[in-house]
Amino acid sequence: MTPAELALTSTAKKAAKPARHLMSPTRFLRLSRHAAGALWGQKGKAFLMMIGTAVGIMLLTAVVGLSAGVQKRIDQITAFFGPRSVMIFAGGGELHGAGGRAEAGTTLKLQDYQAIRDQIGYEAVVTAGIFSGDVAIKAGNVGTQTHAVSAPPSYSEAFDWYVQEGAPIDSDDERSMARVAVFGTTAAKNLFGDEDPVGKRFLLNKVPFVVKGVLASKGTSAMGFDQDDRVWIPLSTGMNRVFHQDYIRFIRLKVRQDYTVSSVVAQVTDILRARHRIVPPEQDDFRTITPDFIAARVQSMARTTELVGAALAFVALLVGGVVLMNILLLSLSERVPEIGLKRALGARQRDIFTEFVAESVLVSLLGMVLGVLLGLVPVLAIPKFFPMMPMAVSWQTFAYAALFSTGVGLLFGVQPARRAAKLNPVEALR
Amino acid sequence: MIELQGLEKTYHTGGVDTPVLHDINVSIEEGEFVALMGPSGTGKSTLMNILGLLDRPTGGKYTLGGVDLTALDDNQLSTIRNRRLGFVFQLFHLLPRVSVLQNVLLPFLYTEPYPADAKERAMQILQSVGLGDRINFKPNTLSGGQQQRVAIARALINEPAFILADEPTGNLDSVASGEILDIFDAIHRKGRTIIMVTHEPDVAARAERVITLKDGRVASDERRR
Ligand SMILES: Nc1ncnc2c1ncn2[C@@H]1O[C@H](COP(=O)(O)OP(=O)(O)OP(=O)(O)O)[C@@H](O)[C@H]1O
Ligand SMILES: [Mg+2]
Repeated sequence: MTPAELALTSTAKKAAKPARHLMSPTRFLRLSRHAAGALWGQKGKAFLMMIGTAVGIMLLTAVVGLSAGVQKRIDQITAFFGPRSVMIFAGGGELHGAGGRAEAGTTLKLQDYQAIRDQIGYEAVVTAGIFSGDVAIKAGNVGTQTHAVSAPPSYSEAFDWYVQEGAPIDSDDERSMARVAVFGTTAAKNLFGDEDPVGKRFLLNKVPFVVKGVLASKGTSAMGFDQDDRVWIPLSTGMNRVFHQDYIRFIRLKVRQDYTVSSVVAQVTDILRARHRIVPPEQDDFRTITPDFIAARVQSMARTTELVGAALAFVALLVGGVVLMNILLLSLSERVPEIGLKRALGARQRDIFTEFVAESVLVSLLGMVLGVLLGLVPVLAIPKFFPMMPMAVSWQTFAYAALFSTGVGLLFGVQPARRAAKLNPVEALR
Repeated sequence: MIELQGLEKTYHTGGVDTPVLHDINVSIEEGEFVALMGPSGTGKSTLMNILGLLDRPTGGKYTLGGVDLTALDDNQLSTIRNRRLGFVFQLFHLLPRVSVLQNVLLPFLYTEPYPADAKERAMQILQSVGLGDRINFKPNTLSGGQQQRVAIARALINEPAFILADEPTGNLDSVASGEILDIFDAIHRKGRTIIMVTHEPDVAARAERVITLKDGRVASDERRR
């Protein structure tokens, strides 16, 4: 055998092995780059091939942006509400707005609170009270309005809100209906200016009080109101000396580490139903609100938009994919001689297949880039003009976009690529 | 060395059998320059396609360098085409969208491992066919003769043992044809095997051996020189 013949033999033997292999990474890169060049060579067609994917990915980006925004809003509200907390409001029926103020009810009594505290106090920190908006406070000749919370000493622990100055409401104050108050920083500033409020006297709805302490500042809530504009007084004082009412407005539980929110909710519900003699399916005369409940509320508001958007994105991707496939199939007939030539030059069927799938995937990825850019416009612009509309950019935007565009490219590129690979080289060259 | 023993080819299209090649027995040594002649429709292109591993015979045996090719699968045949064979077509078959240089580099797309000096080799070969100053031109800006020279450079890039040319001058005027044939002569002098189909006796005169097909059989096989 001549050296050339030996070489040929070894080539043939070597070729026997890679038949099973997919393809070397360098070869794959070469073919992909070549495919990119082929796309560049037919820019107009490539643009037509990518617009469907671009529209689909644009919608997808907007939908994912909305979802991410909703999730962010839920996280904010949950953090504000307390992730392991339960609120029970007086009055039954549907709630208007997520976490919004319940319509006034008088069905919760002090004894309900005491029963819950005594029965499951080891599972949760329990507090209760009355929120009163627009109470008048006056010191000297300064008068203003604020919110009053009438609540027992457990208020601090249940809301994770402690005094930064002076002393909190304690059990002696509660027992003796003491006319003492703890101020939020905003209310303190409004009434006393820069002076130290602790020890100062003032009138609350014309009842004389003494300032006992100042709460740490919590700032503005996710819903946009100033939480520091409030005063906290003992529950007994509020009920008997200021507001003269025999009912409370809320019971609040902060579930301790080793217990679950759902089991606490179940127990509280049982206790209240037993005390109020409610037998399901009779309607409860109280409402139990948990972070999960709020999350479900917020989510349900965005759900329809998300579903419609996702469906549109899906349809656009599908239509885009079909268009992509058909343009590839059409352009195939023009490129038959090219395929024959490449086969003659040593392209395997798999190489031709790879080139065409690479073209399809690359064009989809271009569509993805365009789609993400277009989709980010509403995601970034809408919160600027409508702050209530939650929209956020998240890593998921890019993950989904990459996943779906690659999927479209693969799915709809396979058929034309297979057809190209299966062409008979002799006929293709004719 | 190419050895054809009792080679047969019958096309089956639409339920009709068209026998084209019958009992072809030919061996071609490395370094030969062979012209393949014969009337139109006699099976020259069919034979070239089989020699070029683009089509399979329906009978007989084809061995290349001692390897029986009928046993190999498509991947293996593709590798042999890439490494051992160079094609020159009547219609040039250049990729219009890429440069002359990229056209010449095209076979390396399918070569493992990709040669480190690919570009230098391509430039050198383009220089040797007189196109050193045209490497960045698009094929459609070149004359027919120049395009065919690009195609020859492409066929030579992987230093194949065999050049298969089916009517390489069929689309060229006599001046361009002469240039192409001069290049073939030069390639042949460097030791490559050339198998060329032609209708023209003066083109065939460049070869040292002329095989004539008639009705799918070898009618004559003459060595000159
Ligand atoms: N795919 C096919 N199916 C059926 N018959 C075919 C097919 N390809 C070629 N033929 C027939 O085989 C015969 C030989 O064709 P081929 O192209 O090999 O001839 P040729 O010698 O190259 O002719 P020319 O000089 O005109 O190029 C012709 O009769 C042709 O019609
Ligand atoms: Mg022919």
